Amino acid sequence: MLIKLIYKEILHRKLNFVLALLAVTIAVAFFVSFFTANDASKKETIRLTRDMGFNLRIIPGETDMNKFWTEGYSDLTMPEDYINRFWEFKDYSFAHLTATLHKKIIWNNKEVVLTGIAPEIEPSEKKKTAMIFSIEPGTVYVGYELAKDMQIRQEDSIKIFNRYFKVNKTLSETGSIDDIRIYGALSEFQDLIGFKGKINEIMALNCLCVSPDENDPLEILREQLDQVLPEAKVIMNTTIANARERQRHMIEEYFAVITIFVIIVIVIWIGVLTMINVRERQKEIGILRAIGHSGVRIFALFIWKALMIGLLGAIIGYATGTILALKFGTGIFKITADSLKPIYSLLIWSIIAAPVFSAFAAFLPTLSAIMKDPAITLRKE
Amino acid sequence: MIHLDKVSKIFGSPPKQVEALKNIDLHVNKSEFIIIRGPSGSGKTTLLLSIGGMLQPSSGVVNVENEDIYLLNEFERTKFRASNIGFVFQMFYLIPYLNVLENIMLAAGLGSNGARQRKATELAAQLGISDRILHKPSELSAGERQRVALARALIHQPKIILADEPTGNLDPDNSREVIRILKEYHQTGGTVIFVTHGKDADQFADRIFYLSKGEIVQ
Repeated sequence: MLIKLIYKEILHRKLNFVLALLAVTIAVAFFVSFFTANDASKKETIRLTRDMGFNLRIIPGETDMNKFWTEGYSDLTMPEDYINRFWEFKDYSFAHLTATLHKKIIWNNKEVVLTGIAPEIEPSEKKKTAMIFSIEPGTVYVGYELAKDMQIRQEDSIKIFNRYFKVNKTLSETGSIDDIRIYGALSEFQDLIGFKGKINEIMALNCLCVSPDENDPLEILREQLDQVLPEAKVIMNTTIANARERQRHMIEEYFAVITIFVIIVIVIWIGVLTMINVRERQKEIGILRAIGHSGVRIFALFIWKALMIGLLGAIIGYATGTILALKFGTGIFKITADSLKPIYSLLIWSIIAAPVFSAFAAFLPTLSAIMKDPAITLRKE
Repeated sequence: MIHLDKVSKIFGSPPKQVEALKNIDLHVNKSEFIIIRGPSGSGKTTLLLSIGGMLQPSSGVVNVENEDIYLLNEFERTKFRASNIGFVFQMFYLIPYLNVLENIMLAAGLGSNGARQRKATELAAQLGISDRILHKPSELSAGERQRVALARALIHQPKIILADEPTGNLDPDNSREVIRILKEYHQTGGTVIFVTHGKDADQFADRIFYLSKGEIVQ
């Protein structure tokens, strides 16, 4: 009888029902679309900030930093196999570890930087897309300024210290020292400049997710490096690292503010609608009391209705939110569009949370109606 | 059956308070047909709702079926009302979105749905509204609506019917029909307290009380 009463009342007061359903649907759709897109947004942010380049440089511990900054690299070297130490430690915050060897040389009467790069290693065994191009033996990548100045084109053959290399690619302009760099395979460049088995830098990306305002990530990274590689030290490009973290925090804080706003608006919305519904039904409540229905039963009538609205709103809201996220997300997150997929666990969460939320919003108006003396509405005097 | 001992009801607080009932003493025996008459604002509905356990008096005792009903908690009083009292109002107070059968069946405390439906159909036939059983209240005449309200009040065979101007909105024919139904109920042993302005039911009344400014004056 209770369900039938609710059902018939809904049909009788369709507008009230539709508006309440709309409120829950909007709230659920907002959260579902946000969380569905959030996954892609996180990946997109990671990709975009990652594309800003490595932000960690692990260099020999004895490096003179004055020379380092004036030269652009350490004049000291360390054994290449130092990088393998990271395999033995899993609990650290360095990712995309790449062994490199940099050396300034005069080439064709020009000062250039040779940079040998080894393939990235990922001891954490997490599947990650490579940060930097992988270089085939016998090939090189030539920086923008150098290529322009010396009219070097892709597929050209260039000679460095009596050895010929094929130009795999000429790079686009970066506005940094990279524009006068020649990248080659680490082992070949080690041979070329007589530093066999040596490197002078391990480039890496910080994957420590702490706010730059809360903790000093560099301190944590240095502690970790002391355990893995005490012979080396780490420096961090804080501009890139902070940009990464600030971007992440900004999105989280923005969402938190919007969430509070949406919740308050929706609770008021449902609460007002319930209040209107309760006022319209004062006489009905009075007569139900008069013919022997308890306050608890009448309370249940309103709360069950709110729960039904919540349940229906959860399902419609989930579908709407997912469709919106999939439709518009692909336009927003161009790089990681493929990772936009329906999150089915959100449906379960919506089904649990939306009815509770809806019942919560309806609770006070219903309680006030039940507490009100029904005789007052039935007295016509 | 029904004893009211110095029952008073005050609405509001000074200086705007209204004393709707003043020290009412009333005794109604089982199977009596009582009429309470009085002008508008005399406290008739307040008295009826107090007897029905719907409106707690400010002072005094309301004893129904040997039960001081305002000593019962809300749940017990609801249960008591469901099994002992039937209300009929001038404004019918039918649920607008339920049809006639569902409105009659709405009265609580009748056991299974099947039994409730059988009894509701039976009553609808007795009260001459069986052809309107699937109609909504808005599709009924005033007389038919009041018969539905009567059926709803009678379905659980209460010991007392409290009728608050049930003929107030009806034409003479329908008024007579409502009074006839209440009389029939009375003849089967039911107690009726009938609040009215008019004199249509006087011939059936065992006793008539006059209420003025919250007091029984004769």
